[in-house]
Amino acid sequence: MKRLFSHIMYYKGFYLAGVLALLVISFYVAGELSMRHAELSEQTGPLKFLSLAWQVEAVEAVQEITNEWNRQHPDQSVEFIQGSWNAIHDYLITGFETGDIPDIFHYESAIVVDFALRGYLADLAPYISDEMRNDILEVDWASVTRSTGEVVGIPFINESFLVLYNQELLEAAGISTPSFEEPWTWDDLSEAAGKLTLDKNGDGITDQWGIGMGMRRSANFIMNHSIAFGGSFFYENEAGQLETRVLEPERELLGRISDMLYVDKTMSPSSVGKSGAEMIPGFLSGQYAMLAGIGTWARQQVAENASEDFRWSVMPPVKAKTQAMGLNTQTLSVPKSCTRQALAMEFIEFLLSSENMTRLAASDWMMPTRKSSLKDPRFQDDASGWKMVTQSAQYLSAGPWVGLPGYIEWKSRVANPILQEYFAGRISLDEAAERIERESNSVLARYQVRGLKW
Amino acid sequence: MFSMQLFKRGMIKAVLHMLILTYLMYLLFPLLWMISTSFKPTPEIYSGIPTLIPEVFTLDHYVSVLKEERLLKSILNSLYVGVITSVIVVLISLPAAYALSRYKTSINKAVMGWILTTQIFPAILIMIPLYMILRSLQLTDTLAGLVLVYVVWDIPFVLWMLQGYVKEIPVELEEAAAIDGATQSQIIYKIIMPLLLPAIGASVMFAFITAWNEFFFALVLLKSPDLSTLPVELARFTGIEGQARTGPLAAASFMATIPSIILFAVLRKWFASGTLQGAVKG
Repeated sequence: MKRLFSHIMYYKGFYLAGVLALLVISFYVAGELSMRHAELSEQTGPLKFLSLAWQVEAVEAVQEITNEWNRQHPDQSVEFIQGSWNAIHDYLITGFETGDIPDIFHYESAIVVDFALRGYLADLAPYISDEMRNDILEVDWASVTRSTGEVVGIPFINESFLVLYNQELLEAAGISTPSFEEPWTWDDLSEAAGKLTLDKNGDGITDQWGIGMGMRRSANFIMNHSIAFGGSFFYENEAGQLETRVLEPERELLGRISDMLYVDKTMSPSSVGKSGAEMIPGFLSGQYAMLAGIGTWARQQVAENASEDFRWSVMPPVKAKTQAMGLNTQTLSVPKSCTRQALAMEFIEFLLSSENMTRLAASDWMMPTRKSSLKDPRFQDDASGWKMVTQSAQYLSAGPWVGLPGYIEWKSRVANPILQEYFAGRISLDEAAERIERESNSVLARYQVRGLKW
Repeated sequence: MFSMQLFKRGMIKAVLHMLILTYLMYLLFPLLWMISTSFKPTPEIYSGIPTLIPEVFTLDHYVSVLKEERLLKSILNSLYVGVITSVIVVLISLPAAYALSRYKTSINKAVMGWILTTQIFPAILIMIPLYMILRSLQLTDTLAGLVLVYVVWDIPFVLWMLQGYVKEIPVELEEAAAIDGATQSQIIYKIIMPLLLPAIGASVMFAFITAWNEFFFALVLLKSPDLSTLPVELARFTGIEGQARTGPLAAASFMATIPSIILFAVLRKWFASGTLQGAVKG
């Protein structure tokens, strides 16, 4: 024993090297086996489907449809994974880079487009049935189709902005509400906001604001509404590239909102620092008579959380030059690395059949993208503003920024912060316009150098 | 004159107590608000009228949270990960901290420098290489893999903290024990360990709470819904554009703080027990 010990001590260097080598080899073998196992399970295991449905009814709907698929296709099952809107971006980026990514994932068109430009996504065009192609609105296809014809996601629910109003407060102020046939103009909206802004007890402090609008991250709202003013922030230059310009139409929209805040004082100042969701309690408590710039989803929050005697409704899109409005679409995409793209698309077709899409959209309180689903009686009902939302689909329009390389960075690093400063009254309109143009074009230039093309 | 001084002292004390109370309220208010929200019916949460005491008291949100099997499973997963992580972190860091502070070698400074350097990197920066390594070891989508990451993530700070505590213990205590015939292991386990109980308690707390609250690694490394931890499950109560199921989220968040509170209550005794006062006569 003593001899063995002294032998080991004498040759400890060799033994140490041997142990290290063994460790390295075992790690390598384990790694190789793991990769092969992963590859094998990618080809034979269940397809992984990451959904961002989060409301109880929406999660149940997706799960039940997935279960139905699994019952009908026992050999080609799909595993439902519930993701989180808060962390989806980092989750997907890590997944794309490591190759460990769900076979089908739910996200939104504006960002999916960015993924496609980086080469992460499969072209689904060859797998889409004629029935689906013809039934989904053209404007939705435009938001996910490249100039080469590649389709990088299947649009299934539409998000657009609304104006909700408190019927009781409008009636009390003697204001007649707009109909789909006779919508309000922005002047009408400002005038009504003025009538609805009240200091009820005469203490010099406003108790009821005409309008509230969550503007913590207002770029989406501003971009989508600029179209109705004849603007779009992005214009083609002589070289055929898009560049940012803040022209008269964009200035008019920005100026109108700023005036409601600081000149007319009809918009609640708390709008500046809050998100749309955070404005809802104020709307329900009568602090704001109208809630503008909020998504169609907000109706669910209002319908489910308002007291029984709270009467509310939805306005048609407010008219500037037109009622056109940019859209944001939720999509299902398949990564390029997926080895069973045809099967993944087969599942998507099942999940987004007309009947299923109707159910998914209704459970999420958003507009379906299929024309046949829009005709469903659920979306034609006046209750909770469904009919108005469905009718407004005709005004949806894909802005020129769809597919613009760098748009996501532009929105988060340039537009949102500058607009927040402007609406907080810290900078003038001229300064905001000048900064948006300057900072935007330096961001876009970085992407243009890379030669990315939609 | 004497009573004036007493009055002044009393006033200073009162002001200090007021300041501490204000600070405590500042720290406690979000927790109180969360607890209050968890007991309010949804229309009251959305009423826009802020009240700390619910007008109508309800347990509906707790019932709805407890009905969600995945949330309960995620609490167990988080407990498992937190407990195992804190035990391993302390087991590794304690001897390492002792060695670093008692045995002066040329690499000590380099080791401590490296420990500090590791704290600079944000999680997102190391996520992709870390994921590749764990995948090659078949440790992605396993709680063991997550524990390994948390152990590696926590050790530098705990080691740094513990070696500071070890340095505070006078070497004379060890020398006296050695003169009395104690072996090295007896010195460590019978002399040093009891004196380090507050530090061990703090380390356990730190490692547990870090693992209990951590979100990003758990989100990316664990793919199977059955393995997800509590913070990942809580994130699923929130939706797009700041929407949230506020009531259930508050109830689940309050439930999530309970283990930390219990752990702190259990370890509180340790924090006060390791006094060195009078250990060495000057």
